[in-house]
Amino acid sequence: MLKRFLFVFFALFVILSLALSAVGCAGEKASGPQELRVNLAGEPDTIDPNKASWADQITCASLCFEGLLGFTKDLELKAVVAKEIPTTGNGGISEDGKTYTFKLRSDVTWSDGEKVTAGDFEYGMKRMLNPETAAEYASFYYDIVGAEEYNAGTGSADDVAIEAVDDTTLQIELVKVRPSFLQLMAMWPTWPTREDVIEEHGSQWTEPPNYIGNGPFVLTQWVHQDSMTFEANENYWGKKPKLEKIVLKMITDQNAELAAYKNNELDMSRVPTGSEKTIMEDATLNAQTIRYYDLTTFAFQFNVTKAPFDNKLVRQAIATGIDRVSFIDNVRRGIGKAATSWIPPGMPGYDEDLGTEYQFDATKAKDLLSQAGYANGDGLPTIKFSYTNSAGNQVIAEFLQGQMKTNLDINVTLDGMETSAFQALVNAEQHQWAWFGWGADYPDPDNWLPDIFGTGAGNNHTLYSNADFDELCDEAALELDNDERLAKYAEAHEMIVDDVPIVPMFFRERFWLVKPSVKGLVTTGLDHQCPGDLFWNLVYMESE
Amino acid sequence: MLKYSLNRLFWIVFVLIAVAFITFSLMHLVPGGPWDREKELAPQVIENLNKKYGLDKPYFVQFGSYMWNVLQGDLGVSYSYQDRGVTEILLDGLPKTATLGGVAFLIAILIGVPLGMAAALKQNSIIDYIAVFFSTLFASIPGFVLGIFLVLIFSVSLHLLPTGGWGTIDHVIMPAFALAALPAAYIARVTRASMLDVLRQDYIRTARAKGLAEYVVLVRHTLRNALIPVMTVIGPELAFLITGSVVIESVFSIPGTGRLFVQGIAQRDYGLIMGTTLFYAFIIAVANYVVDVLYGVVDPRIRYD
Repeated sequence: MLKRFLFVFFALFVILSLALSAVGCAGEKASGPQELRVNLAGEPDTIDPNKASWADQITCASLCFEGLLGFTKDLELKAVVAKEIPTTGNGGISEDGKTYTFKLRSDVTWSDGEKVTAGDFEYGMKRMLNPETAAEYASFYYDIVGAEEYNAGTGSADDVAIEAVDDTTLQIELVKVRPSFLQLMAMWPTWPTREDVIEEHGSQWTEPPNYIGNGPFVLTQWVHQDSMTFEANENYWGKKPKLEKIVLKMITDQNAELAAYKNNELDMSRVPTGSEKTIMEDATLNAQTIRYYDLTTFAFQFNVTKAPFDNKLVRQAIATGIDRVSFIDNVRRGIGKAATSWIPPGMPGYDEDLGTEYQFDATKAKDLLSQAGYANGDGLPTIKFSYTNSAGNQVIAEFLQGQMKTNLDINVTLDGMETSAFQALVNAEQHQWAWFGWGADYPDPDNWLPDIFGTGAGNNHTLYSNADFDELCDEAALELDNDERLAKYAEAHEMIVDDVPIVPMFFRERFWLVKPSVKGLVTTGLDHQCPGDLFWNLVYMESE
Repeated sequence: MLKYSLNRLFWIVFVLIAVAFITFSLMHLVPGGPWDREKELAPQVIENLNKKYGLDKPYFVQFGSYMWNVLQGDLGVSYSYQDRGVTEILLDGLPKTATLGGVAFLIAILIGVPLGMAAALKQNSIIDYIAVFFSTLFASIPGFVLGIFLVLIFSVSLHLLPTGGWGTIDHVIMPAFALAALPAAYIARVTRASMLDVLRQDYIRTARAKGLAEYVVLVRHTLRNALIPVMTVIGPELAFLITGSVVIESVFSIPGTGRLFVQGIAQRDYGLIMGTTLFYAFIIAVANYVVDVLYGVVDPRIRYD
């Protein structure tokens, strides 16, 4: 009896396992002819271009929307919906440099066939500035007359000097000269949106099929937290994309992403942190890797008001006492480039020779430290280094701790924190020393210097303050001659490198796997979430 | 019995309000808010965001209006998913997480209970040793390790199953087994211990002595009593499984509710934190409630009068 009883149970178990494994037929089918499958790495918070601020959000929006201006693969400005780039020569920029007139192409259409007019741009930009929209990039556009007041709730939309003069003319007036204004006009917050669609659907307008755009693709399906499907826009006014379909998956785990790539479910994959060397040693996979700079610099930022970092010599000693080559090789596993200056390669203003005097030199570093009055680290107050306690950052912090001990005999306490808590600490300038990264919003030094090192600037968390630096940046901000302007920024950049409010560590490189079947991929330093996502309209698939 | 059930129901409501209040307070006490970014937002932008989400109002007003909305079935807005409500987000993920959890629960019971019984009935035999070995093994391997292991074998090497995602039955197999492994092992161990205990009871000897068929002794006298401790375990286990596993949902990219919780905390998405916590608390409270009521049904020694 007992035997039969047991037998029945085990038989049930075996049948269940077999049944479950039998239904598991072959994995995902090979991709259709013109379908690109990429991991977005998570669900975008919003894909509303006027509100977007994170890379994954912009990736989605940029498939479906196009602005007046855009960037070429060399990150030069190009006219997209505008007929030409406004200049003083063609009358697009007034003599005083404060009024911009954009002439629009007349053949631009929305994905539902309607014409794109200057009014759609006016609506989109004013919507972005509306305090109720609470757009995170609104403050970038405060140089527009009336924008700051409107965004602060003290002015009205009608007083914002963005005006559709007629269907193909958009005029914008600035409070003061802003040489990088055209770059701002190439960014997503200025993309046009449809008033009728947004009025009708409210917050649901970003769901398909309501997500009406003027870009090469349309969003046809959004399975929340799982995937988004984009298909070629039949009503696209420009050159039609070669891809018929783009599927963006939302795999949050890097190793799961790599496994999906290996199982041919994805055409691109990030290389998970820590797996770089393994991938490089695998001949097949190594042949599928791509790497390129993405306009991001990482650094150790001091609080220059706190001892001992209020002493420039101490900061210089530390900058000289860190072996960046070993850092790239051991901590970054060969990915990225050792940095001795702040502005990254690919940006106007990058200077390869800048800061070479801070290349690793233990003797010089010790010398600087004793000049500062702390020979062999004697007499230094306790030093605490704060960072977000991800696995990658932990290694970085321990490397720093080791370097300080070995090269300068300085003891550093490590303070790994949870992400938001860390950001709150740094944003309140309560840190003594912290890890810091900065990525370009647009390719211009004015996004890299005054906003981070200017006295009292929003992102100045080193509390660095230098009147000469401020003056140079103020001059540059009003300089209409581009060469002059860049020369001023170059000088300001040198000041930062010499004053060391931050210790630049490395320029980040993207390191991705791309299937050989993906052709025509054009990567740029401004790519958002995924390689080449500014130019996926040029990509096509070719099976081997 | 009825009085007991109603009394317990009242306490569930009380527990949920307490959970809501504690969560709400803790979440605002933790350093860092939803707008703390590496690229710091302009003060005016932060002010606009605070106004939009009502964070500019006094603390108790915020809590009061939140609870008022909850009573009307609205779990509020998500601070990160700006275009979607928390209720909508949870309802979207729930069927997926619950399906996965339900399948895993069935697997866990169908493996755990028979395995434990077999081990107990054949104590100190090879069956027992194998059962104990496997239940120790799977109790010790974390779910994500097992998950990655399964992916490497069945997806990357054999190309039999998709590595993750959701939609077909193929997508459920690996995560369900990875999720079921630990509870199955646990249930097997509890079943074994409980069976061994019951088998030594006098009433079993009596049952055998009065000549009952072994089958009757096993099912009616042993199994029913041996399952009481097992039920204590599987109630919360079911709650745990259907609220979702952060780890398994991440490894297998399942668009369920499990991932939302941790993500909400990391991003200080107050709306998502409150919504998921209340939802979890509700499921766990209900599961425990059902188990408590069922005790009375299963165990003749327990009566709620």
